[in-house]
Amino acid sequence: MFFGAVIIVTFVFSPLVYSYEVRDGKKIMVYGERQAAPNIDPSQFYDWSTRMMQQALYDALLKYVGNPPKVVPWLAKSYKKSADGKKWTFELVRNAKFHNGDPVTAQAVKWSFERTLTLKKGPAWMLMDFLDKDGIRVIDDYTLEFNLKSPYAAFEAAIPWWYIMNPKVVMANEKAGDMGQEWMKDHSAGSGPFKQKRWEHGVLYELEAVDNYWKGWENPKHLGGFIFKIIRESGSLKMGLEKGELDGVAGLNSTDFDAVEKNPNIYVTNDPGWTTFGLKMNTQKGYTKDINIRKAICYAFDYSSTVKVYNGNAVLMDSPFPKGMKGHLSVPNVYRQDLKKAKEYLAKSSQPNGGFELEYVYVSGLEEERLIGLVLLDNLAQLNIKLKIVPLVWPNMVARGSKVETSPDFMAVFTTPIMDDPDVVAIQYHKDSWGKYYGSHFYQNEKVWDMIEKARFSADWDTRKKLYEQIQTLIMEDAPEICGMLYNRRWAFRKQIKGYSFSPVRLTSEIDIYPLYIED
Amino acid sequence: MKLFILKRFIMIGITLLGLSVIVFVVSRVAPGDPAKLAAGPDATEEMVQVVRKEFNLDKPLPIQYVSYIRGLLRADFGKSIRTRHQVWEDIKTFLPATFELVFVSISFAILLGVLFGVLSAVYRDTWIDHSTRFFSVAGVAVPMFWLGIMLQILFAAKFHLLPIGGRLDTMVMPPTPITRFFLIDSLLTGNWVVFENAFAHILLPAFVLSFPALASITRINRAEMLEILRKDFVLNEKAQGVSDRLIIWKYSLKNAFIPTLTMIGLRYGWMLGGTILVETVFDWPGIGQYAVAAAVYSDFQPVMGVTIILGLNFMVANLLVDLGYGFLDPRVRYE
Repeated sequence: MFFGAVIIVTFVFSPLVYSYEVRDGKKIMVYGERQAAPNIDPSQFYDWSTRMMQQALYDALLKYVGNPPKVVPWLAKSYKKSADGKKWTFELVRNAKFHNGDPVTAQAVKWSFERTLTLKKGPAWMLMDFLDKDGIRVIDDYTLEFNLKSPYAAFEAAIPWWYIMNPKVVMANEKAGDMGQEWMKDHSAGSGPFKQKRWEHGVLYELEAVDNYWKGWENPKHLGGFIFKIIRESGSLKMGLEKGELDGVAGLNSTDFDAVEKNPNIYVTNDPGWTTFGLKMNTQKGYTKDINIRKAICYAFDYSSTVKVYNGNAVLMDSPFPKGMKGHLSVPNVYRQDLKKAKEYLAKSSQPNGGFELEYVYVSGLEEERLIGLVLLDNLAQLNIKLKIVPLVWPNMVARGSKVETSPDFMAVFTTPIMDDPDVVAIQYHKDSWGKYYGSHFYQNEKVWDMIEKARFSADWDTRKKLYEQIQTLIMEDAPEICGMLYNRRWAFRKQIKGYSFSPVRLTSEIDIYPLYIED
Repeated sequence: MKLFILKRFIMIGITLLGLSVIVFVVSRVAPGDPAKLAAGPDATEEMVQVVRKEFNLDKPLPIQYVSYIRGLLRADFGKSIRTRHQVWEDIKTFLPATFELVFVSISFAILLGVLFGVLSAVYRDTWIDHSTRFFSVAGVAVPMFWLGIMLQILFAAKFHLLPIGGRLDTMVMPPTPITRFFLIDSLLTGNWVVFENAFAHILLPAFVLSFPALASITRINRAEMLEILRKDFVLNEKAQGVSDRLIIWKYSLKNAFIPTLTMIGLRYGWMLGGTILVETVFDWPGIGQYAVAAAVYSDFQPVMGVTIILGLNFMVANLLVDLGYGFLDPRVRYE
């Protein structure tokens, strides 16, 4: 009876289905994603969903484009660094305007950097050890220089994530000396290709294209608007895309991606990403403190299974650094499953006959990590090692990995490098990373640490390249983790959506909206 | 009666204070460093300290608690450590969506549950009774998330009859907020387009959320009706020629309704908790989703705020149920 009533009522009330939305003649793309962007202040916060909004609303001096990622001038017309790598001079374009019409000047750039450095939040960590507020100097309205405390090789690579804000707008909304933090969490003061239209927390964010965007548009059929809808379930995203309620989605599980790929109205992108998957081993406590046990484990693990978990949409890692990243070396004699060698190393260890138990901790709810744990369990059984698989919610997992005493034998960790510079990966193996989730191996090798520091402060790429090659080789020899795979980054779009461009330096499900356009 | 209500309100106050202590302690002893999580995975120790100071996490626990309670007295539930949003503002945004869903669900459950219960009792051991009992067992046994996904696939994905989720279509603007219930606000503002859209969106989640309550109410109402229909006063009424309709729907149902009312009160509380699953499946932007998103990041202020608000709601609902007994049965006295 109820179902009968529902059917009758819904025939009457059933909403119409569009392949994309149209308002005032402008085509609007609707994008479905699982994570909200609750605080869009570029000085306070970033994660992949937030940065997707920030990239649309703001511009930076430089921008990452393409694959492999290139840093191209954006608000900067040109830039140069001094021979010692400490002074960087940027000349700005003259026609850039904030959304309220104010020009983007060197003063605004200086103020934006100062704000982030003062608040000590969000992306501040990238530069606060190398740049003081006093080190930023305005030369004229369209030229400024950054004087670093010491050379920092990754400076250029960090600049695209420091967005430029309009000081006048922000400070007009300042409350109790908060530099506009309260207001900026859900308002914007940028010069980007889109501006805010509708902001419904936990539901959707709507952006409207800036018709006279100072940089112009790559395609005349560019998006008139963009709606970011928060949909938490993979199944609902899939249904929404198939039904035409959504024009693009990210965050589907592998099976759902494969399923929608068969739909003639949908296409799925599939690009090797830089998100590394590693099983960090505690190198300072328990059985995994023994390098021979770690090596035995590295040889026992079935690496190909990590690719199978992603239905083949992944590539094996051959170094702690992701393939394609500047400075990556395909390390010779990389670990692959070889039970004979595994047993040889175990025989050399303090526990030649196995007979002990290790703990594998993964993020509760991440099915891929659970499956990989099961594979490891099976592999280790052949060495007479038992495995206890423990799911933990992310905060508890981070807490476990923050101390040597509590860090588990294995911690399954995905890590996405935030810049195209090997320093951001190398630093994960430095003592400065101890206590962070990616440093839960508590890896200790002073020679490696020295080389990481040298490479970080060197201005010469050839010198750095050699150092990074040695760093990768030494890390692999010490086996602080099982270097697993790089899963492919996938998005699904309806056929009308064109212009998608992948860049591996963008986080998890982040895309650049600017180049997208709609063509029937 | 006034004294009874006053006493109950005092008890609610004491219970809330106890609840605040429990949620505060649990949130602080949970593993993980909220400041570290909020500062970000790459944050330096200096950045973590900034967060710690901003949220008073550098102060001793008793001082933190006193400051929290002081805030509560001013309806200040603090700020989310992750998003920096005021928790009270967030609750005001998300709670009405949950209430709207729960009210429609509980209304479904009461109307249909009572109807099915009465019909099942009156037509005992007929096909009506058998199918109602089957329905009741299914309602208790079927997991809500499974039912939700199945109905989504059937009505939204397969036949395109209903929307997949959300409160409104993407391009439909919410009505001018008065009560923040879209169905009511759209009616009050005469916005029929929004009303139709909101109605189509709430049908599936409300049905799924109501299903277990509907089944329980049906079962308990059936059992009570069977009991009442055997009573002497019913026989007496029949002998005096009172119509069946009056006997069943007025005299018997009123007597059978007291246990049903208890069940409604309990189910209302369970529904508020059960919305988390339904909200996730149907992308209903309610308080459940908000609380889960906060809990995942050890964002303790929103979790504490939601727990206190839902706890208060449950207590008030129980008070109303207790008061309802007096209206149904004049023999009930409040002391």
